[in-house]
Amino acid sequence: MNVLQVRDLAKRHGQKHSLVRAVDGVDLDVPAGQMLAVMGPSGCGKSTLLHLMGGLERPTGGRIWLAGERIDTAGERALARLRRRSVGFVFQSFHLVEELTVAENVELPVLLAGGSPRAAKRRARHLLDQVGLADRARRLPWKLSGGERQRVAVARALANEPLVVLADEPTGNLDTAATDEVLRLFADLRAMGQTLVMVTHDARVAATADRLVSMRDGVFVEDTWLAGHTGQFDGLFAMGD
Amino acid sequence: MGRVLLVFRLVLGDLRRHPGPAVLLVLSTLVATAVLSLGMSLPGATERLYLQTRAATAGPDVVAIAPGLSRAADTALTSLENVPGVAARSRTYRTFFTTITTDRGAVRAAVFGADAKPGPIDRPLVTSGVWVRPGGAVVERGFADALRLRVGDHVTIGGRSFPIVGVAVTAARPVYPWATMGGPDGGPSDRSGLVWLHERDTRALAEADVPAASLVYLRLRDPAATAAFRAVYHEAHDPAIRVNSFTWPVIAFQDSVYLRDGQPILIVGGWLLSFLAVAGLSTLAAGRVAGQTHRAGLLRVVGATPGLIAVVLLTEYLALALLADAAGLAVTRLVAPLVVNPSGSLLTTDAGPSGPVAAMTTVAAVGVAILTAVAPAVRALRTDAVATLSPAARRPDHLVLLSRLAGLLPVPLLLGLRLVARRPGRALLHAAGTATTALGLTVLLMVEAQPDQGWDFGGVTVADLMDDRSRLLLLGVIAAMVALAVVNTLTMTWTTAKESRATMAVARTLGATPGQVAAGLATAQLLPALPGALAGIPLGLFAQWLFGHQNAPQSATPSLWLVPPALLLVTAVLAAVPARVSARRSVAETLRAETA
Repeated sequence: MNVLQVRDLAKRHGQKHSLVRAVDGVDLDVPAGQMLAVMGPSGCGKSTLLHLMGGLERPTGGRIWLAGERIDTAGERALARLRRRSVGFVFQSFHLVEELTVAENVELPVLLAGGSPRAAKRRARHLLDQVGLADRARRLPWKLSGGERQRVAVARALANEPLVVLADEPTGNLDTAATDEVLRLFADLRAMGQTLVMVTHDARVAATADRLVSMRDGVFVEDTWLAGHTGQFDGLFAMGD
Repeated sequence: MGRVLLVFRLVLGDLRRHPGPAVLLVLSTLVATAVLSLGMSLPGATERLYLQTRAATAGPDVVAIAPGLSRAADTALTSLENVPGVAARSRTYRTFFTTITTDRGAVRAAVFGADAKPGPIDRPLVTSGVWVRPGGAVVERGFADALRLRVGDHVTIGGRSFPIVGVAVTAARPVYPWATMGGPDGGPSDRSGLVWLHERDTRALAEADVPAASLVYLRLRDPAATAAFRAVYHEAHDPAIRVNSFTWPVIAFQDSVYLRDGQPILIVGGWLLSFLAVAGLSTLAAGRVAGQTHRAGLLRVVGATPGLIAVVLLTEYLALALLADAAGLAVTRLVAPLVVNPSGSLLTTDAGPSGPVAAMTTVAAVGVAILTAVAPAVRALRTDAVATLSPAARRPDHLVLLSRLAGLLPVPLLLGLRLVARRPGRALLHAAGTATTALGLTVLLMVEAQPDQGWDFGGVTVADLMDDRSRLLLLGVIAAMVALAVVNTLTMTWTTAKESRATMAVARTLGATPGQVAAGLATAQLLPALPGALAGIPLGLFAQWLFGHQNAPQSATPSLWLVPPALLLVTAVLAAVPARVSARRSVAETLRAETA
């Protein structure tokens, strides 16, 4: 079953001579449990594609289904509900709420979804334990390292057990060690059957996915299934480094 | 429950993370609401205090006074009980117009022969010590304040020393310095206070032929029908004996004369202060739009609905506005008795802002909160969520001529002028704010240049209370103006520094030093302050001419020329603080944050 389905998706900016086709007629199916990497040079439209699939931007053409439900025509309220319940975002710049503690950031989506404070606290404790940051729960985000902040962002993205996690250059701001930490976390998610779409321009990171889609000038130019991938990253990094 | 907790957390978190803007916002709103509520509390305030005192002291509806202590005067006064509408009268009392001597010299006073046990009409309220007894004097509170007399001090009346046994208030006479009422010759008189002696102690004054008057207190069947009483009385009374009648509305009006000079100061000052407060608030709000929009974007990404985002933003501003409103009303509650109570001779338990005034300032504060929250909320909700995640501020304006001119100048001036060109509206607001402060300082200097209108009370000069009150009010308003101007300068520099952080970082990468950047930021405040400071002087002279005393000096005092350089110096010092802090920020860190 496809968690995400995209048909003839387009996002255009400007008009006539200044027309930019950020995404230009893309078709894509993402089955449940798949880890998909979208790769391409800067400005090829991969981040825009991710934002469109998560309802952060509105397409100028085409259709998007999430778990069989059309989201390209949904209103702002419905999109907010979708982001709370079905989609988890991880950004290159983390985008944590700086005035809230680590635990409060992770509790945020649960509370937004109407969960009780007790349930939110329980869920945050579980997720922070899972990402190895239980001892950082009371800290403010700016006191953490980049890798730790990204792990908090991942925990926050998972707070409401989303259908899909959309990660936009999740390792773009991280050093090698922190990248390693985050990719280990993604491997765990993949092992648990979490659907994950990741945008990256780093070939080493893309190589950890089940499937790799290459993008250029707003269109897919290659769609590759990475056969024999084990989900273990130690060897990969050993080779890369 | 979870949502409430969430809103609470987000509001508290933001306040903890950005306490500076929150404090500035509270200060600006506090001053605006305090001035607004004080201004709105003034009309009728003294009359309300009078009514309160009248109720507490069983004040008479009419005080009838006849000159002298003759039997004819007594007969004329007692016959007033037959005038239609009169329900009761007191016995005939005697008042002596003399001087009393204190440690500081001799002053005029109306000495009232009182009963040890006051009658049913006019029961003065003792606020300190005890009521009169043989050999002991009680002094009117405002009079005692002016002469710095306390219970236990001594006054000499008619050559005899009396200990002051009490301090009291009454509604039967206008407050100090109008206690004389009819005066020894029956005409209007002022510049004296009231002293009560036991009637037995006033006999020596009568024997010494001290000028005196007889009086009775009347209670009307309908206390509101004073005009009808006067009409009937004027037709009925014997023209051979002069009897002056003072109804309670006349006494209440006389008491409120104190505020006559102060009202324009507070009203005009209130407008100017409100303008300064609004200028500061709008700058503060504009400076926070980018940050709040970004914050709204963060919440949208994790699934917050537009409604919830609006609630979070509004709750924060609302909490700050209501806090400032409550503090402003509290300030008014403390200040109002000082402003509206003439000479301390009226009770002031009801001198604070009334319910409707509190409601109006609260509505105004809530309005400010809504307006301040609406801009980032609407902006965040009308923009794609991804775009709101960018920390970029509102796109700057660009004045081509100013930018070109800047290119010809030294680096600090170049940076400063280009910052002005980015936000010309803010520069205009800053110029207007500085002009307002200069205006206030000009008026203050002109008033201070006037000669003191002290009143000579025969040896002791007691300052003209009305003039003192006006000067005090003016000083208070100017002090509030200066405080707001300081807050505004800090706010404007902080906002400019924040918005131009990336530009200044780029300038640093091109070779500008931190000192040049700091000087540029300070220059951006000084450039609009200069014309503002210069324009404020003629505006202040005009305001002084319009509202000032007739005896104000017609030519400007030399000290006025110190106003512009003083204002510029203070602006430079104030702007230097946030400018230096901003300039010392790491360039790499700034550029990283801007591109994140």
